[in-house]
Amino acid sequence: MKEETRHFETELAVVGSGLAGCAASIFALNRKIKIAQVGNTGAVAYTTGYLDLLGAVEESSKAVENPWDGLELLKKSHPDHPLSHIPAQDIAEGFRQFTTFLGESGIAYTGPQETNITALTPAGTLKKTLCVPATMAAGPQAFAAQRPCVIIDFHGLKGFSAREVVANLRHKWPQLTAARVDFPDMEKGEIYPEVMARALEVAATRTRLAELLREAAGEIKTIGLPALLGMHTPDLVRSELERLTGLTIFEIPTMPPSVPGIRLREMFEQVFPQKGITLIPQQKITALSFAPDRAQLNLRDNYGPIVIHAKAVILATGRFLSGGLEAHITGITEPLLDLPVHQPPSRTDWYREQYTDRQGHLIHKAGIEIDASCRPLGKNGTPYHERLFAAGIILAHQDWIRGRSGAGIAIATAYKAVQAAEDLLHARI
Amino acid sequence: MSDKKIPTINFKEKAIELLPEGASFDACLTCGLCSSGCPASGIENMDPRKFIRMAMLGMNEELSTTPWVWCCTQCRRCQHVCPMNIDISQLVFIARGNWPQEAKPAGIVRSCQLIRSTDSTSAMGLPPDDFIFVVEDVLQEVRETQPAFKNLQAPMDKKGAHFFVNQNSREPMNEPDEMVPLWKIFDMVGADWTYSSKGWAAENFCMFSGDEEAWYEVIKTRVDAVNALGCKVWLNTECGHSYYTMWNAINRFGMEADFQLESLITYYARWIREGKLPVNSDWNTNNITFTVQDPCMIVRKAYGDAIAEDMRFVVKSLVGEENFIDMQPNRSANYCCGGGGGFLQAGMTEHRRTYGKRKFDQIAATGAAYVLTPCHNCHSQMEDIGHHYGGNYGVVHFWTLICLSLGILGENERTYLGPDLLALID
Ligand SMILES: Cc1cc2nc3c(=O)[nH]c(=O)nc-3n(C[C@H](O)[C@H](O)[C@H](O)COP(=O)(O)OP(=O)(O)OC[C@H]3O[C@@H](n4cnc5c(N)ncnc54)[C@H](O)[C@@H]3O)c2cc1C
Ligand code: SF4
Ligand code: SF4
Ligand code: SF4
Repeated sequence: MKEETRHFETELAVVGSGLAGCAASIFALNRKIKIAQVGNTGAVAYTTGYLDLLGAVEESSKAVENPWDGLELLKKSHPDHPLSHIPAQDIAEGFRQFTTFLGESGIAYTGPQETNITALTPAGTLKKTLCVPATMAAGPQAFAAQRPCVIIDFHGLKGFSAREVVANLRHKWPQLTAARVDFPDMEKGEIYPEVMARALEVAATRTRLAELLREAAGEIKTIGLPALLGMHTPDLVRSELERLTGLTIFEIPTMPPSVPGIRLREMFEQVFPQKGITLIPQQKITALSFAPDRAQLNLRDNYGPIVIHAKAVILATGRFLSGGLEAHITGITEPLLDLPVHQPPSRTDWYREQYTDRQGHLIHKAGIEIDASCRPLGKNGTPYHERLFAAGIILAHQDWIRGRSGAGIAIATAYKAVQAAEDLLHARI
Repeated sequence: MSDKKIPTINFKEKAIELLPEGASFDACLTCGLCSSGCPASGIENMDPRKFIRMAMLGMNEELSTTPWVWCCTQCRRCQHVCPMNIDISQLVFIARGNWPQEAKPAGIVRSCQLIRSTDSTSAMGLPPDDFIFVVEDVLQEVRETQPAFKNLQAPMDKKGAHFFVNQNSREPMNEPDEMVPLWKIFDMVGADWTYSSKGWAAENFCMFSGDEEAWYEVIKTRVDAVNALGCKVWLNTECGHSYYTMWNAINRFGMEADFQLESLITYYARWIREGKLPVNSDWNTNNITFTVQDPCMIVRKAYGDAIAEDMRFVVKSLVGEENFIDMQPNRSANYCCGGGGGFLQAGMTEHRRTYGKRKFDQIAATGAAYVLTPCHNCHSQMEDIGHHYGGNYGVVHFWTLICLSLGILGENERTYLGPDLLALID
């Protein structure tokens, strides 16, 4: 039995299915570019659902209220930072297109505003973020208005404790109380939010849960629940529960594996092919090579080998977690093309002595470097190939964890990379 | 299951032998996405992440003896959602194989023994002569009672036929009339096809029993049978795991197969596109709603989403686009129904239904009146959980609905139609 190789021809190949890869596909769709996208689940499935632009100016621990002002500061203190090279209106446009797409695909989000939102974390602390899922939006509002509110959790659910949230938040939100209920039909054992979310897609489960919620809320009119209000139709599930209970309901993210991330991933996997994208999920490109007129990408899925030919490629393979960068005894490498990686001079410089050092660790700024049109630099300091672009956290000179800027870097650099790729595609195909 | 002692295996060592370069259980981030998305999580106090952690920690005895390995359907959904692409079903396969025959669930072992007891490779032990008899008998009756099909054919052992067609034993054994719609479809499109008296049966529980040698032998019988007749295409009919066990074995054991393996779904789609199967949804005047179950054995584990798209094309052509509601999640991310991996045969009814609750919720969320699926296991399981959890949906084969749409579904071929569908025919 012979294995047949499947061939795909495309304009743009996106390598990576994290936030950067998915954002790149969305921007390319909006520009009517033909796309093939490959990649395993990236960190998308772990996210809280919040889309952060800038929560801190890296080394500074002060929370950023206005990310647009923050970006100006960043430009001065960190001129190398990828966000320092992108005009604010492009970043805003990227967020707008991204959240609009999510909304049209069934997961409504708040759009980018003038200031950050003060959002609740699974532990009951507060963080600054730019856009939140509509199912979560009422939480920050209730907090800001200091409305009386009950946080409700469920027996058997790990990764979210109403008591903990209340304990950590009460000094800032005195009218907060906690309650615990049994989820219908899941009274025993450990239960994952994913399972509850799917059960809430069934109307009968909603009806039963609504009764329990009403009871737990007592006289109070606003309740916060762990993020499990449906998987495929979260906005409908939330509004149905609000209708059935007469309460205002919002979600708070849980620890991973969390529903908001799974929602995004499943939505991308379904909607992208419907929009005409050739999506090959859960696989990695094993070889990427360039001829003058096109790039060739090789991979295989369960069924057999696949070859993709593309006019342009966006590399959005992430860092260590996703395999975009690899750490070795001798240093950090980029495994797909062996691109030079900006990194500390030696392994001993990767981490500062104190793990909690305010300045962060140098390894968290490692990555590949790009030119003004998002082309990764090769060994001699010039672009590796005119058809290659890069986006996302694989880029050097940023510490997205400290900067609370994960989604921001992914979305903004993807926006820029797609712009640059389009310039190439239009210039000569 | 008896008390016979189960030997202890070193899972970590096995994993190292088994995994291709670059894939390592050590890479596990313990993120829990696998467990969160696995319907077998919690059964027997086990889940895929725990299984991997215990393997890495050397808790070999516990893993060697946990009955959970018979509750994991080897559906590989865990791998699909894993950021590190870790495939735990391989460890489960080894663990299963390690159980002494006497200790394994008797139903799976018995099915495998029966498969090997005759040249039919039938898990119900139906010998070749009986198969030939049933086919001839049913054919005779159709020719006599359905004038439009007085020349219907069901060729047996026809050398050089293009398609070698397999059949799940449940049909010739328990509901022979269910074969007829398929014959009618072949007749309508003018397919050059044949059954074979040898290796005709589809099902294969030897793989699920973890018995690699038996698995190989069964597939060898089938491959030899196709080669002997010189057919170009082994056409898998509506049975999920039969495709996977054959396809995977041919690659795994490097077998000589001078033919293509294809799924009937692909051909349904092709024949509809080519106009050879002129189905439409005009019959569905009451807008009866349908959903579809993607069998993991042909979608996630083999063809990928391409066949899932074909399946949706077929369903929409048959019932009308507006009457089709997708389950969530679906395609490669779909949940196993809970009947796979030999679960239906294993006798662990309560666990199987616990697993199936996830499928039940999925179906209930669609609100569809019927589930279509091209897999016998899925079919049986979804009927069972429907009854158990109080669902009011029906489960139908593709061939039934195709013939219904074409107006050629015989009186005896309507077992799975509810009153709403029957009302539309009469
Ligand atoms: C636990 C966790 C929680 C987070 N929470 C938040 C949050 O609340 N808010 C926020 O804004 N950000 C959050 N982030 C950060 C955010 O998810 C990341 O900033 C963002 O995902 C980075 O995107 P990326 O696409 O560049 O990289 P990644 O998400 O790492 O994706 C890289 C992709 O490349 C793929 N890949 C690698 N090699 C290959 C190859 N050879 N071929 C094909 N594909 C390949 C990977 O499979 C993966 O799909 C969180 C991250 C983590 C880990
Ligand atoms: S999904 Fe993969 S990485 Fe995460 S716990 Fe499961 S096996 Fe480990
Ligand atoms: S193969 Fe399926 S049943 Fe088994 S652990 Fe993975 S997801 Fe669960
Ligand atoms: S019975 Fe169906 S859903 Fe379950 S493993 Fe088999 S093919 Fe998959």
